[in-house]
Parts: sequence; structure tokens; C-alpha cells
Amino acid sequence: MMAEPTAPERGSSTTMWLLAPGVIWMVLFLVLPILMIVYVSFWTQTTFNISPTPTLASWKQFFASDTYTGSLWTTVRIWLIILGLTFVVGYPTALYVGLFVKSKTLSTVLLVICVIPFWTSFLIRVLAWRPMLGKEGAINIILQKLHIISQPIEVLLFTELSVIIGMTQIYVVFMVGPVAFMLGRIDRNIIEAARDLGAGFGRIFWKIIFPLSLPGVVVGSIFVSVMVLGEFATSGALSGRKVNLLGNIIVTQVGSLKWAMASVVGVILTVFMGVVIAGFLRIVDLKREL
Amino acid sequence: MATETSVFRLEGVTKCYGDVVALDSVTLTADVNEYISLLGPSGSGKTTILRVLAGFEAPDAGRVYFQGRDITRVPAHERGIGFVFQNFALFPHLTVLKNVAFGLKHGTDTLSAAQIDARCRAMIEMVGLNGLEDRAVDQISGGQSQRVALARTLVMQPRLVLLDEPLGALDANLRGRMRNELRTIREQMGVTFLHVTGSETEALAMGDRVVVLDTGRIIQTGTPDQIYGSPATPEVAHFLNRFNLFEGKLAGGVFTGPFGTVPVHAACKAARDVYAVRYDRVQVKQVSVPHSGPGIRAHFVASEYLGSSVINFFETPERRVLEVEHHLSLGAPDTYEPRQDYLLTWNPEQAIVFGQETA
Repeated sequence: MMAEPTAPERGSSTTMWLLAPGVIWMVLFLVLPILMIVYVSFWTQTTFNISPTPTLASWKQFFASDTYTGSLWTTVRIWLIILGLTFVVGYPTALYVGLFVKSKTLSTVLLVICVIPFWTSFLIRVLAWRPMLGKEGAINIILQKLHIISQPIEVLLFTELSVIIGMTQIYVVFMVGPVAFMLGRIDRNIIEAARDLGAGFGRIFWKIIFPLSLPGVVVGSIFVSVMVLGEFATSGALSGRKVNLLGNIIVTQVGSLKWAMASVVGVILTVFMGVVIAGFLRIVDLKREL
Repeated sequence: MATETSVFRLEGVTKCYGDVVALDSVTLTADVNEYISLLGPSGSGKTTILRVLAGFEAPDAGRVYFQGRDITRVPAHERGIGFVFQNFALFPHLTVLKNVAFGLKHGTDTLSAAQIDARCRAMIEMVGLNGLEDRAVDQISGGQSQRVALARTLVMQPRLVLLDEPLGALDANLRGRMRNELRTIREQMGVTFLHVTGSETEALAMGDRVVVLDTGRIIQTGTPDQIYGSPATPEVAHFLNRFNLFEGKLAGGVFTGPFGTVPVHAACKAARDVYAVRYDRVQVKQVSVPHSGPGIRAHFVASEYLGSSVINFFETPERRVLEVEHHLSLGAPDTYEPRQDYLLTWNPEQAIVFGQETA
């Protein structure tokens, strides 16, 4: 005779069915590919062929070459600069939208305005910077018309600077959103209480507002970091091939069917991102804060 | 100047939010070492008075004086007036001790770390929070949060503390205990408390002086027994929730209401004619007993036991509910039959009459 399933059994089978699609999807399209990348990074690569004979050759080649290690440091440098700039530009914006704007409607409208660039494709957003920054681009024309400069500024396009300008603009909204969300949740009475206890704006900001917004800064930093570390399109389109990030290396290696080297770079990038995310999560206990 | 003994003085303070007049030319003075309760229904402007005093809102007209100084334009953090919020507004990321120390550490005072620590620990001791210094504020109970909020304000040694419905978030049992503690702490520190409340029992129990507010105006100021014994207007009598109020007509020293026509000895000037009888002045008689003077027939609905007294609810044929309070110290309460008619009567000399004409 069949026994009626007891409540916990029924519960666990429901849990299983609910989890199954997600777990299957992630295993097939995330876990297995990552394992595959790790495996392929140890394959033997010849000019026209690749065979699964295990070797450390690609790893040795990566760390022996100045081009590859140089691009690792470029990636780290660009990442830190973009992280810093998105914070410097994004935090005051978030402060205004999340805290100073009293009307909820207005702050929603402002956030939507921040997201408007996302209504068009990523590539167009990147390419739109070319007519903006170019030698005969909008900025140079305006500055010349205003007689602020006599010669066009050439460092604006196809340099590291143009990559930094483009990336900051594209990713700053990922910093603004989470920070504005955390700031919007701060009880206004807390700020009034701090004022009543004699604290001026600076003290209130550093001792109350900033610590309470820190989870938003961490989430925003994780968003920005993950996206910048995996970047290749902005640097490809705006640097004139002068800035080679790890992402660009992967693209060229895959393009010339160098799967083993592409995998090495992929593994290094993945591990580095993991370390960065783990580091950010140590700053605040997100489970408690959100 | 008369500011020597006054802690604060509001002069003709008016504050509007859009078309809504929150405060309409309010003038109020508080003495040193005084406990003032500010009573009024929600929307009467009582919280706005506190916010104007604390400096969170600027008045549209009028002046605010604090210890003789005009502080109308002084920013909140330079006023030195304590504020205890209804929801306590504790700093959620700081411990109990750091919450209490916040003002001394980050305010205008310059004290050494040791002095700050000593003062905070003494204050924590005074409000009875010893042992909880290093707890996070989300790990303590409502009553303890209330004490932290109080300690955080009092440790600054303000001359004036504003309390915005400080007991509203607590359960009834705790509210009773905190009432006593608030009074005791205030007496120990010798500061003036301005306590906003929507509860008439709280206002009467706690204030040395009660200020009654309605639609942005102060309608009566007095000691609790003055307010309770002789409310100045029908509105005050209504807020006190201790009077059966009857609409009627006052003319030629006689009040005509649903209970008959009764001679009136004295009447308070008011915008409308209202006859007020305190719950505990009403006597309940059998309908068959002959009587003279005011009387109204009503059937018994239910009774409510309050510990020291019993409230009996009666309903008139016009479906008006009348309340009769019986103090148990005066003997065991009579029991009444539900849906049975009784005669409610009272001594007309104990009634309070409001009228457009004063007798």
C-alpha cells in the first residue's frame, strides 16, 4: 500500500521541482563551460591544431610574455580608475536623487533619466562617443568656436582617456542605482536626530549617511567591477587598439582559434573577479543589510 | 525682560503646509523645570510645534525664543534642544553606547574621550540599561529602545526636551511604567519637558501643565485638574473623553436639551450651546422612581471593568451612547439588565454648560 507523503517530504519534492530548471540551466551553461575552459587551458596548442594532451605551455607563455602580463595590469589599472570615477561621479548623484529629493515621484523620474541611455544598444552607446570625442568631434568644435582652444585636442579619442570617459559614462548608472536605493531607505528622523544632537552636515554624512549607504556602494562596486573586468568592446572601439584588456586578448585569441591561450586568460579573469567580489562582500554583511 | 524664568517662548508662530494651516499664531511660554503636556487630536499641529522649536521647520511668521535668545533662524544643530522621536530614530548601525555618545562626540561640545565615556555610562546607568552598552540597537526591546533614545538626548544636558508621542510605540503595560520613569528622570535632571500626546489620560497624568491644541490653535492651558474640572470649550471636553455632551439651546438661564429643561447657574462662553456631564457624575435610576431635574431614558448595553472603576454604556432611543462611570471605592457597582430601560440623571450644579450667551 502506498503511504501518504508526509508534509516535509512533499515540501522537499516541491523544492526540488522548483529548483530543477534553474539548476539544470546553470549546470549546462555555466558550470560545465567553466570546467571546460579550465580543462582546455591545459591542452596542447599548435599553429593549426589543438589536442587534449595536457601541458602547461599556454600558462607559461602567458606569464612569460610582456604583452599578456601587461594587459593584465592594464585591466587592473583601468578597473580601479573606472571604479573610482563611477564612485566619485555616481555617489553625489545618488545622494541628490536618493536623499535630497523629497518627492518620491521626482526621484523615480530622475532614476529613469539615468537609465535612458540603456534604451539603445551597448555598441551604439560606445560608438556614439567617436563623433563626440574625435579630432573634428563635437567637443573640439564647440571649444574651438568658443575660442577656448585654437588646435583640436587629439588625446580625446583613441587613447586610454577616451576608454575611461566612455566606460565611466556607461557604468556610472550601476553605481547610482544601488546607492540611491540604500539612501532612499534611510529614515529621515535619524538624520534629524543627529542634527538635534548637534552634528553638522559633514559629521552627519560621514557618521550616519555614508555608513548606512555602504551596502549600496558595495553592490554598485560589484556590478561595475564585473562589467569592467570583462570589457572588450569599449576599449576596442575607443582606444584605437592602444588599450588591450584581458577581454580584448580573449577576443583576438578566439579569432585566431588559439583556444588554449583564450582559456588561460578566461580562467585568470574568472579567478580575479571571484577574488574581487569576495573582497567586496567582506566589507558588509549583505544578508543582514538588504 | 520676563525671559529670566522662561525656557522657551513662542510668539505668534504660524506655519502652513500649502493651504493647510498647521499652526495659527501660537503663543506659548514654558518655565524652567516644568512638565508640559501638549494634548490634541491628530492634525492639530502639536508635532509641528515641536518641529518648529527644534528647528526642523522654519515658521512662516512669529518668533521663537530659547533662554531669552531669539533662535527663529538658528539651525537645528546649534540650538541645544533635545528631541525624542516617536519611532525613537536610533542610529541603526551603532551600538547602544555609541548611540548615546553620538551627540557628545560629534556635536558642538569638546570633551575628552574619557569624559564622554564617563557621562554616557552614567546616563546609561540612570535609564537602567547597564549591561546592554555593546548591543546593537536592533537587538533590544521597544522599552529599551525608548530608554536609549531618552539617554541619547539627556546626556547632552539640554535645558529643554521635546518628546513626540514618546510612549506611542510601547505596549500598555510598558507605557504605564515609562510614564513614572519619565517623571522621575525629569525631576532628577531639573529640565523642562514638552511632551506631545494624543492620549488624554497621558496628558493629564504627566503634565504639571496641560496645553490643549485644536486645528493649529491653543484652546486651553492649565493644570490637569483645571482642564479636567473646567474645560474651556466643548472641544476640550470632547478630547478629554470624560464627558457626555448634549447639544441643545441655552436661553435666559435655562438649557433645553434631550434631558429636559434645566436651570443653569453659570455658563462658559463658546461658539455653540453644549451641556457637559462628567461620566462619574451621572446616576442611574429605575424608570419607576420619581425624579426631578434633568433625566434621560436609555437602555443598558454593556459594561467595561477598568480595575478601579466600571464604565457602563447606555443607549438612548436616538442611538446615542452615554457613559456612566462608577468608582469602585464608592462601593460595589449596581448590575443592570441588558436592553432594560433606565433613567440617567445628575445634579445640575455639577454640569458644565457652554453657550453663546453667558448667564
